[in-house]
Amino acid sequence: MGMKITLDQNAAAVTECADAINDRFSGSGINADIIQHSNAKKYSFVRVTTPPQHWQALAKWMKFEVGVNYCSMVTGTHYPDGGDERGWEVVYHLLRQPIVNQVPDTNTVFVAEKMLGAQIPVEFEVVIDLPNNDTPSVPTVQHIWGGADWNEKETWDLVGINFEGHENMHRVLNPHDSPDGFHPLQKQHKIRYHDYNEMYDDAQGFVRKPADEGRVK
Amino acid sequence: MAQMWITMGPQHPMTHGLWTLRVKVDGETVVDTEAELGYIHRGVEKICEARDFTQVTPYCDRLCYVSAMTWSNSYIYAAEDLLEADVPERAEYIRLLAAELQRLASHLMWLGAFGPDIGNLTLMTWCMRDREMFLDLLQELGGSRMHYNYPRIGGVKRDIPIGFADRMIAKVKLFEKRIEEYEMMLDESTIWLVRLQGVGYANAEEMVEAGVSGPNVRAAGVNYDIRWAHPYSVYDEIDWEPAVEKPTSVKGADCYDRYRVRIEEMRQSCRMLLDAIEKIPGGKNTHYSTGDEMIYTKAPTRAPEGATGFSNYECTRGASQFYIQGGGEGRGKMPYRLSIRSPMFITIPFVAKTMIGYKVADIPAIMGSFDPCIGETDR
Repeated sequence: MGMKITLDQNAAAVTECADAINDRFSGSGINADIIQHSNAKKYSFVRVTTPPQHWQALAKWMKFEVGVNYCSMVTGTHYPDGGDERGWEVVYHLLRQPIVNQVPDTNTVFVAEKMLGAQIPVEFEVVIDLPNNDTPSVPTVQHIWGGADWNEKETWDLVGINFEGHENMHRVLNPHDSPDGFHPLQKQHKIRYHDYNEMYDDAQGFVRKPADEGRVK
Repeated sequence: MAQMWITMGPQHPMTHGLWTLRVKVDGETVVDTEAELGYIHRGVEKICEARDFTQVTPYCDRLCYVSAMTWSNSYIYAAEDLLEADVPERAEYIRLLAAELQRLASHLMWLGAFGPDIGNLTLMTWCMRDREMFLDLLQELGGSRMHYNYPRIGGVKRDIPIGFADRMIAKVKLFEKRIEEYEMMLDESTIWLVRLQGVGYANAEEMVEAGVSGPNVRAAGVNYDIRWAHPYSVYDEIDWEPAVEKPTSVKGADCYDRYRVRIEEMRQSCRMLLDAIEKIPGGKNTHYSTGDEMIYTKAPTRAPEGATGFSNYECTRGASQFYIQGGGEGRGKMPYRLSIRSPMFITIPFVAKTMIGYKVADIPAIMGSFDPCIGETDR
């Protein structure tokens, strides 16, 4: 029969992690909230907001004290109209997974309903707001989670967030000879049909404009 | 002996797609590697910023042309998180059926491509033959062989057709016997064992640290699976257990373990399909019309600024994740930012590094055993 982590287990683990972060880092601008997903089974996760200067300390502490061993995704977002305090945002998605090395010829078969405490998988979302300037930058966590390595490369490549201290940063998805400062997911780069109201010359939408008129390519 | 760099790819049978592996060799031994990606970067994340939430689904299908159904499902769960949509239970069952059929088709595609890498050409013809059965079933659902555009925010496009259940049960039961045939052909075949055993070791903690996920980690001996750890569909109600291997070395799982875990996953998918079709609410031989409340709930089309949606989904190659920020163009009709996490984008650089120390002839076996797919890697 199939199994799952129950909502009670999830609630207990999420509360424990959020409380631990709030206790340890109270007063430093780091804040952990419990948010509930509104899809599928309505599970909860921990959303942590942190100023960029405390991110490395928080990351190390989460890895070694909370057991967050998996960095799955890094997302950078450009908010040109976001005000002085929030011109850019970097979101790290982290997971705690109960995975350990095995003795030869054995394996670990978890029964979800019987998992306790630090074994229970938890999802974390770390949100870092950056001020509105031309050189957004956050400290790297490449040396803390190997999984952050290529994710950070991709975020720099596509969004243009600098990761301070990231070794061997290079283009991964764009061509290697792309011009400096070209990061296509920044909002000043428009694509066709982006402002769909401007797609047509007349209000009824019968006459289509030339596709690339006035567009930055 | 002098060391030199050689380039495998972008056109090389080992790559299973378009990418370049640069290998530094000392004689026959690999001493350093570098992966180069991005050959088919299509900018899906940017394109989606100018599309309605419903228009994004076909792009997600095209992320991975081997496993389209799981990718569009993954997006749909993120969009449902963002838009706060409810899904009828029958639709969840149909999504599960579709995803597991796709998992069978995808693993067969992997095995069919892996066989010739190792020197077993028969395998490719057998796997393509069996994959066709499942593509036919998926075609009955989505209307197309590869890109289905089937799940909808709040349900599915249309119900399972009359007779689908019987055809599926017959095919799955036939395929369960075919799995035994594969095992008879491969498990004790000398060429298979010689090329796969003791090659490409990777242990569990090292893989988790590097961000590898899915069957590749389960091969290293832990039954961690998103389908129970971050449950999303109705996997808790049907009969299955996560596939897991017992690696024979302290160095972790080798290529043979990764082959075995996928065979076992196919078996579990068959088990799920046979059980889910019997338990489906509303009956397996009923057909509800498109848009019926049994299979579809109307969902909002706009997302307020500041709302986010996230899904963590067990794709055929590992954890596929979508993160959507709402409130984009057209007063929230389109995503402001849509970010895609591809399991293979993280795995390929890791695998490139695990090859160090092995022979050049082992590279296709090691790379193939991790099941690379470049469509999702480059997005």
